[in-house]
Parts: sequence; C-alpha cells; structure tokens
Amino acid sequence: MTEASMHTFEIRDYLRQELMPHFMCPGCGHGIALRALLWAIYELDIDKDRLAIVSGIGCSGRVGAYIDANTMHVTHGRPLAYATGLKLARPDLEVIVITGDGDCLAIGGNHLIHACRRNLNFTCLMLNNEVYGMTGGQVSPTTTVDRFTTTTPLGNHEPGFDSCKLAAAAGAGLVGREITLQVPALKNLIKEGINHPGFAFLEIISDCTEIYGRKNQLGESPEMMLSQKASTRSDVYRNTVDQPFRPNAFETGVLARNDRAEYADNYRKHVEKTMDVLKSGD
Amino acid sequence: MRVSTSSAVEREPSPTTAAEPTNVLIVGVGGQGVITVSKVLAQLCLQNKLKVKQSEIHGMAKRGGAVFSHVRFGREVYSPTIPLGQADILLALEWAEGLRWLPYLNPETGTFISDTQQIIPPFSCRNRKRGATSNYVFRSVEQVKQHVPNSYAVDATGMAEGLGNPRAANTVLLGMLSTALDFSVDDWQAIIAQSVPPKTVEVNRQAFLLGREWIQSDAHKEEREQVEVAKPPPAPVVDDVVIDLEITEAWCKGCDICVKMCPERCLALNSSEIVELANPDACTACRLCEWLCPDFAIAVHVHKKETAIA
Amino acid sequence: MCIKKRPLSHSIGELDYDPTHLNLEVYFLPPAISADFNRNRLSVQGNHACALAAVAAGCRFYAGYPITPSSEVAEKMSEELPKVGGIFVQMEDEIASMGAVVGASMGGVKALTATSGPGFSLKQENLGYASMTETPCVIVNVMRGGPSTGMPTRPSQADVMQARWGSHGDHPIIVLTPASVDEIYMETVRAFNLSELLRVPVVLLYDEVIGHLIETIEIREPAELKLLERKWTRAPPEEYLPFAATDDGVPEMARPGDGYRTHTTGLTHGENGFPTQDPEEVDRVMRRLLSKLDRNRTIVESFELLECGDADIVIVAYGITSRAARRAVKLGREHGIKVGLFRPITLWPFPQQPFAEVAALARKVLVPEMNAGQLCLEIERLCSPPSKVSRMNRIDGEAITPIEILERVKALESND
Repeated sequence: MTEASMHTFEIRDYLRQELMPHFMCPGCGHGIALRALLWAIYELDIDKDRLAIVSGIGCSGRVGAYIDANTMHVTHGRPLAYATGLKLARPDLEVIVITGDGDCLAIGGNHLIHACRRNLNFTCLMLNNEVYGMTGGQVSPTTTVDRFTTTTPLGNHEPGFDSCKLAAAAGAGLVGREITLQVPALKNLIKEGINHPGFAFLEIISDCTEIYGRKNQLGESPEMMLSQKASTRSDVYRNTVDQPFRPNAFETGVLARNDRAEYADNYRKHVEKTMDVLKSGD
Repeated sequence: MRVSTSSAVEREPSPTTAAEPTNVLIVGVGGQGVITVSKVLAQLCLQNKLKVKQSEIHGMAKRGGAVFSHVRFGREVYSPTIPLGQADILLALEWAEGLRWLPYLNPETGTFISDTQQIIPPFSCRNRKRGATSNYVFRSVEQVKQHVPNSYAVDATGMAEGLGNPRAANTVLLGMLSTALDFSVDDWQAIIAQSVPPKTVEVNRQAFLLGREWIQSDAHKEEREQVEVAKPPPAPVVDDVVIDLEITEAWCKGCDICVKMCPERCLALNSSEIVELANPDACTACRLCEWLCPDFAIAVHVHKKETAIA
Repeated sequence: MCIKKRPLSHSIGELDYDPTHLNLEVYFLPPAISADFNRNRLSVQGNHACALAAVAAGCRFYAGYPITPSSEVAEKMSEELPKVGGIFVQMEDEIASMGAVVGASMGGVKALTATSGPGFSLKQENLGYASMTETPCVIVNVMRGGPSTGMPTRPSQADVMQARWGSHGDHPIIVLTPASVDEIYMETVRAFNLSELLRVPVVLLYDEVIGHLIETIEIREPAELKLLERKWTRAPPEEYLPFAATDDGVPEMARPGDGYRTHTTGLTHGENGFPTQDPEEVDRVMRRLLSKLDRNRTIVESFELLECGDADIVIVAYGITSRAARRAVKLGREHGIKVGLFRPITLWPFPQQPFAEVAALARKVLVPEMNAGQLCLEIERLCSPPSKVSRMNRIDGEAITPIEILERVKALESND
C-alpha cells in the first residue's frame, strides 16, 4: 500500500460519530482492533452499504454498533449462525462477524466449529481478552491458567483453548492471529481474511485493562500490550533454528490455510449439476 | 565494471606455492550466506591440502547486521584474521558492506568483487524525523577504483534470477572469485555441489560457470564496463510538510497508551487526564499514537507547507 | 350443519386506521377446496403441505435441524428450494437454525424453520430476538409428547403456552393452529403474509397427527394467494428511523445494501434502533411493539364457528381435537343437545372478543385438549363465571375421540 492512500484513511468516515465516545473502558484493546478493521475496509474499498457487521453479546458485541454500516447485534454466541443465514441469503453483502472469546468459544463453540467446517465466505474476528468483561470479569475459555477472575478466586485451574488450532482443525479456509499492538500487521491480516474466498477465522489478542489487568496486576494497557508482544512469535520467525527465549510463545500471522471449496459456491454448483442430471433423466 | 588494465586472471594466481598465505575477506549482511560461501572456500583449500583458518562474526542473522568472514590459506597460516590493507580479495555480497571493508584490501594488488545489490537496514536512518536522510553509505564504482584499481561490480543477483533462482547469486560470485585463485573448476564444482540443496545443484553449476565466464570471456567485456551501481533512493525533503496532531478531547479517556508508546515521548496527559502534544517539535508523524488510540481521539495530519499556510 | 365464519365487518370500527386496502378476505377466509377437479390437487402429508406452501408463499431460505415429527418439512424444503433458487441448510443445532433464519430474514429473504418440542425450547432465545427486532420469520412446531424428550412419535397439544410465552420477556408473537392438511397449506401462506405485514414471528403450531396426516390439498394459483411483502421503506436515508411507528404500528424496514445502514439489536432500542434505557422512550417503544397485534386483531384473528348460534354448550377445540369435536357436535345435535364448536385458527392472540360473545350465550363451555389444561386457562379468563368452563384432558399420547367428547357433553347437559 502506498503512503498516500494510508494518509487519506479517516476513521471518522467509517464511524457513527454521534455515538462517540464509545462505551469501552479506557485502554480497552477492542477500540484498536476496530480501527484495524475499519482501516482494512477502507483499503479494500468496501462499500459501507454492502458491509454487514454481525456481532454477539459482550464487550466485543458492542463494538459493531460504532461502525457506519449495516450492523446486527444478535444473541449471545450466535453471530456465526446469523451470519451464515445472512450470507447465504445475501451473497452480495460483505459479512464480517465480531465476537469474543466467551461468545465464540464457550456459548458459541458449536457454531464456530461448524462455520469452519462449512467454509462459507465470510470473516470472523474473535477479540480475545481472556475474560467476560461485560458481566464483571468471570473466567473464560481462554483465561490463562492460575490467573484470577471473579469466578476463579483461587486462580484459574482450567486449561484454555488454542482457538486457532481449533479453527484450523475444523477446516476454516484461513486462520490467523495478531495482537492489537501491531496495528498495520493486524490490518493486513484482516484484509487477507476478508479477501480469502472462504471462512476466515482471525483471533485478535486484545486486552482488558480495567477488570482483568487490574485483578491480576498486569499493569496498565501499555504494559499489557507490550507483554503480549513479548509473547508472540511472528510467522516470519517460523522454522528458524533458534526459538527465541519465550517459553509460552503464541504464533501470529497467517497460521493455517485450508484450500477447500467455498460453501455457497459449492452448493450452487452442486444444485446445478444435480438439476442437469434430473433434466437429462426425463 | 572492470576498471583495471590487469585482470585477476592475468596476475599470477599461485596461492598453493606462495610463501605468504592468501587472504580472502567475504562480507555481507545477515541472511545472505556469507558463512556458507566462506565454508565452500575453506573446504576447497583443505581438499587441496592447504592450511586454512577461517574466522567470522555472525549471529546478526535476524537483524540485517553486518557479517564478515576472514579466510586465510597457504602452506602455513598463523593468524586467523587479516590485517588492515592485507586482503588479497574482498568478496562482497552487498554493496555498502563491500565499501565498509575496503580499507582491509591491499590497495595495489587487491581484487574487489561486489554484488551491486543494496540491502538498506532500518537503522541506517538514525534520525526518526520525517524525511531525515539515510546514512546508507554509497560510492560509485569510479570512486572505488580510485582506492583499488582491480575492481569488479556485478549484478550477481540479477544474473542468478536470469537462471531462475536468485538464491544462486552467491555461486555466481564464487565463479568470479575462482578466476582469482588457481583451484580447478572441477574441484570448485564438486564442493559447491556438496554444499547446496540437492535440487539446486544444476542451477548452481550454471551460476558458477556464468560468473567465471563473465570475468574471463571477452564476450562480456562491454557488460563488465557498463555496470552501474544505483544510488539509494533520495530521502524526502524535510521541510515541505507541517504535522498537525488533531486531538478530540471529548473522546480521550486518558488511558495513557499514546503517552507511553510514543517513541519520541512528545505526548503527555494534562491535569484533566486528557492527552496533549507537549513537545510538538519532537513529533515525527509516525502515527503510532493514532493507530494505538482505542478511542480514536488522535488523528495525525501531514500537510504540505503551502496548504498549511493557505 | 352450519359452518359460519366471522363476518368481515366485525369490529373494524375499533381500528384507528383503514385496513381496507388490504384484501382481508384473503387472510381470513382461505378459499376452501373447490369442487373443480380440473384444478391442481395433490394428496400429501401435512408436513409436506407446509413446505410446498412456504415455497409458494415466497420462502427462499430454510435452516433446520432434524427432529421427529417435523423432519419431513426439512426434507421437502431440501427438495423444493433448489428448484426455485432458494437455499436449504441443515445447521449444527436448533439454536443455529433459528439464528440463520433470522439472519436470512434480516437480509430481506423470507425464511422458515421447523421443529418440535425440545427443538422449540432451544429456538426460544432467537425467537425472542426476532420479536424484539421485528424480523419476520415463520417457525413450525409439530407438537409431540413432553416434557423433555417425552414421546417423539406421539401427538400432543402441550406447547400451547410455550408458543405464547416460551421466550423471556413480554413479546408479540402470532400462533396459528391449522386442523387439516389443506389448512396447513393456507395457514402457512397466511403465516408468511402476517409475519411480513406485521414484522412479527409467526408460529405454525400443529400436532403430530395433522403433521403426518395425508389429505388432499389444492395447489392455488399464485394470484389467489395474495402474497405480501414487508413494508420496505422509501424514506430518504437521513430521515429514516428504523423503529418509528407508522399508522398500523409497524415500522418500515430497510434492506441491507439499500443505503440505510441501520443498527439492529436485541437490546431495548429507541426509534433510531440504538440501545436506550430512558424510561420514557422505553415505555413508548415497548408499548408500540406490544400493541402491534392488538391494533391489527382484525387481520390476525381467524376462527370457525359451528352451530354456536343457539348453543347451550360450546366446545372450544383446536387442531386434531377440533376434528373430534366437530363430530361430537354432529352427534350431540342428533341427540337433541344444543352444542356448538368454537375453533380458534389463530391461537395467539386469542380471538377473545368473538369468543366472549359466543360464550356469553352459552351455559357451559368444554375445553378438550391433549395436555394437562392450557388453553382452558385463557377460556376461563374470558368466561363469566369461570366455573362454567369444564376441562377435558388427555396426556397419554392418544388423540381424544368424538365419543369421549360426546360423553362429556351429555354429562354436562344432564348435570343441570
């Protein structure tokens, strides 16, 4: 991308400005993720009228409302199901799901694995802040072991999900992960996800400073973001001999590609083929 | 461009019989293959029953940092490193690295062989100010020949690309190097074949011959003299822009991200916990604050000076 | 025998707008199967009739999950939709199928799903969302024995209250309860029309017997079905308020892609579609939402009266039980008992005023149901004194027979 086009991206053109400032806590990473998404939409030149944002319940679910597009804030855990219906009914729309770790992996886990399996052409952004922020900070399926939440007062004893491995194993067309600190990289990853002709699952490592960070003494947002950075191992370092000094590194970048038929395309072709057979049989 | 009247092949290449060791300095930046190239040479020397010492600095592989390797060989070798001004051959895989090590080359009898490829490292620009000039060292071939008449500059990467694999560029350079040393072509090819991935043996064989022929054959005489090194792109002019940091106070929640993340430390929270530009002169319009503000309270505008005045 | 349907003019005066531009006759008096045998007739199962009618009504999206005894709706849709360029998808669960249906409808496509008791329970969450966001959709619930897994292959009428109150919170919902295969066909069409017109989810509630019954239906010409589309807005985008009341209380809808860029949320929202907790605004928008059906009762309500003019005893029955009751009325009349039948076709909102008029003239009201007593609660509420209502319940997975009803009618008659 050229410097010139980067400079003409004005986020206000994509925001419902009358709703600003948004309701998220100071330092919440969801706002940064939203910027990256809107930046990607700008660079891909997606018409706002043709853009449909489907989001679930929780802090992540409220992010969509600030986008000046067709926004649908649906029930808890179900945005992937709604998006499946919407995209099948309206293939002309660019459908993007914004969901969270609880919304997508706990109550909506079944929808996630089947959305991956179907490989319908839309994009899912999962904002992972490791906690149920909206309800006051309860343990989620991605909470780090031993961390404290309001429902793990003794420290979390449950193992978490690696959502990207889950999505890749379930067959998602494209799987990726990025942290909010790397805004241009995140924007590029989202662009790649939207461009991918199939289901793209992108995990965005966000931070919940006010509740989770405070409870676990993880510092303010800058410290949390830098510690996320220190935990990443970018895909450009993959396959290098020396694994840099990070015992719990998580990989970022595009983590998996499954070259499979896109669902709706496949459905149409299948129907056409079968109809032809039926007709020739007559 | 070949600038000397006496080419390497015209000199008497007799490292096996010379009393003094032959000094070859191989340089480049991390990831280019300096170490592999020098290992090929060292292996070749060993097979020819010569003493060889190789010393190197590496480990900058991920940072584009300088990598060099001293290869000394002969009937007897004592010191592992080449003294200043004593290198017989300087083989550079990157242009500026070649220039960096030029003082090591014997100015009278030394041979300079360098790829014209330029890898400009991010830290060549120490000043983060918008439009600041890069410190990437540049000299033209003419300037080099004033120091070492026996100089070759070649687009080895381009030649290897022509063969279908840009990664064979180093073998092109080895082919050139071979003209300055008196090992047999068969020995060279055998060692190279052992050192490269099996699938690329053939392309490397061709690359070696191409490099060798480029220096030896009169057919390439004109080409040798036409090679130019491109100047690095000029830095943008500093003074024609005005940076305007637009802060929407009503949207700022005082989270402190921009203040702590600003590389120039030019932002601060005021008494109402709202961000302000405390040191405007330090701002480089890097946009990190704009990107990282979760509340979209900062917008960085870069205007041309005329429009700003208007 | 005398079958009367409700006169059209009834209570129209109560409306504060003029509904005459809608051809009410269509909703209200489905043309009975004509005597013309040249017309297109089919002998089909109730569930298949439902699917055929849905496609005829313009439904182009089906998402479902297999469950006895409604799976045949899905099977038929999977066969029919590809022929007309529609989409059939079997989702991962009942919740997802309801979500996909609402999602498709938000995209502007008429959508259907079908299920039975346990699946209906799972659909309630997204059914409530459809109610709250005023997204049209049609849900078929083929009732089987319950609670829980119950008796999947046996009929029941025990979801009457769940159909009305299954989703949490006050919410508008229409429940239609056809009693024959042809009526399934016509009521399915009507369900889509009502859903589109009033932007409310419509439940087609029938029991396993009707669902699996094979009867003759007539395939109506498309013009006879008088299909309706929801009111797409034509307002300038800058003036459009997605949840502003219009004359009939139903807001105009904006199709994604048409330039309106609206927000849809299950949170309580103001006229602009965005969440609000302002008490005054919440009161106004919620009252408007909940009043939609009251304001349009004449369109929504449908029922049948049989021999009610002079009836001492009125039987209130719906679905398969109404067919037994019809026979019981005939037998009762033969025995000289003045017995009539009030058969609601629209179960919710219950046609309360017409029923109250009939009930006022009757000494006794009998409510036979295949549940432990559900609709009788509404009937008792509408009768004065409530003690004149008698319940008659079967919960063993067997249909109530005409003779059983006749015996109860005789007993009620002689008790005086």
